Amino acid sequence: MSPVSLIMRKEHSALLQNQRGLAWLLAYTGILSAFALLLISNRELSLLDNAQVVYMMAGTVTAAGALIAVVMGADTYAGERERGTLVPLLTAPITPTQLLAGKAIGLASAWLAMYLLALPYLWAVGAGGQNLAQAIAYLALFGTPVVLGFGYLTMALSARSGSVLSALLTGLIVLLFAASPLLIGPGLRHSLIGKIIDSVNPFSGALNTYDAVIIDSEPLSAQLSRLLLVLVWLGLTYILARLASKQPAFQ
Amino acid sequence: MKLISVGLWLLLLFAGSVSASSVDLHLTPSANNPEHPTMGDWMHFNSVIQNSGVTPIDGLVAWISLIEVTPGKEQPMDLEDWSAHKAVTGTQLPPGATLETDWPVRLIQNGDYRVVISATDRNAHTVFTSPTLQFHVTLKPVISSSRILPIALGIPLLLIMLLILQRFRGHSRTSH
Repeated sequence: MSPVSLIMRKEHSALLQNQRGLAWLLAYTGILSAFALLLISNRELSLLDNAQVVYMMAGTVTAAGALIAVVMGADTYAGERERGTLVPLLTAPITPTQLLAGKAIGLASAWLAMYLLALPYLWAVGAGGQNLAQAIAYLALFGTPVVLGFGYLTMALSARSGSVLSALLTGLIVLLFAASPLLIGPGLRHSLIGKIIDSVNPFSGALNTYDAVIIDSEPLSAQLSRLLLVLVWLGLTYILARLASKQPAFQ
Repeated sequence: MKLISVGLWLLLLFAGSVSASSVDLHLTPSANNPEHPTMGDWMHFNSVIQNSGVTPIDGLVAWISLIEVTPGKEQPMDLEDWSAHKAVTGTQLPPGATLETDWPVRLIQNGDYRVVISATDRNAHTVFTSPTLQFHVTLKPVISSSRILPIALGIPLLLIMLLILQRFRGHSRTSH
């Protein structure tokens, strides 16, 4: 078995065959369940269009996915260091790129599990409404780069800082700032500063696409600039993680 | 017998003329109401209550009523979710004065409905009613609790069972 597969399997099993990983997934589904139950317990929310609710659910899935990616990313290098397993890993016959690739694939498989767990929720709130299939497709297309990007960013922070707490805090601050459009409606972001932040924020790019596709039924051709934004985010954060992983802080 | 009938007829006529002359009630839909109301929309109705009598009206109470007239589902509606502004109470209305009221209504269910404003005062033994306004509320696909509950409760429960199973397996491994 190749070193990449070994590390990938270890990371994957850390999420799905491990108490801590399952607890994370439980917390993740707890967020989605709380949101879904809020929708039916509140008269105002229960009268929202299906499409509006699916849009909100897609945004919540992306935010919760990014949150867990940040937690997982913070643990990658710094966690190994704190457990005393980083030095043996670095001295093993494996290149830094292979180590990063194994961890990146592990993160991707965790996101896949979260994505699959989100599908029943999307169906529950969106069945019978418009654009449910598009919502599922665009969550994969735009949510994946955003979530993985946050994971790679915190991997880079984790490798550089060597401290889980430090990487986690920095990652969370960046995520909170990026995910602020979830709280601030599109109307309030129409100011010049709002527009500038929206144009460079990958989270805004994904959210605005969900809005445009799920609620307004816009085609993919109208979303290409936002797709480019989230792909650039993914590329940049991967490069950062790759640079940082070459010389992780292990002392 | 004939005399009694005539007497009753006169009494009703007299009562009707008193009510018609003391309070005039007009009800109109707001110009901003949606043309095709859909579930979740807001509609506003404007009522004008005028004291057309010669004595002041004390302790005027006016309230809104909503009646569903969908064929087969005819019933008075509980306004609990439909409106937070259900009545105007304790108002005094001198002769000739008018009371204009805006009645906002949130459309909760699809169907055919009639809205009516009723009014009475402390001393009158009559309830005055406005003409009714009828409107149709179109169905909108909204979320259904029958789909959400099994998912929202079932998936976390499934994960909890997996957690317990893992713990059980871990214990059995260590004991072996």
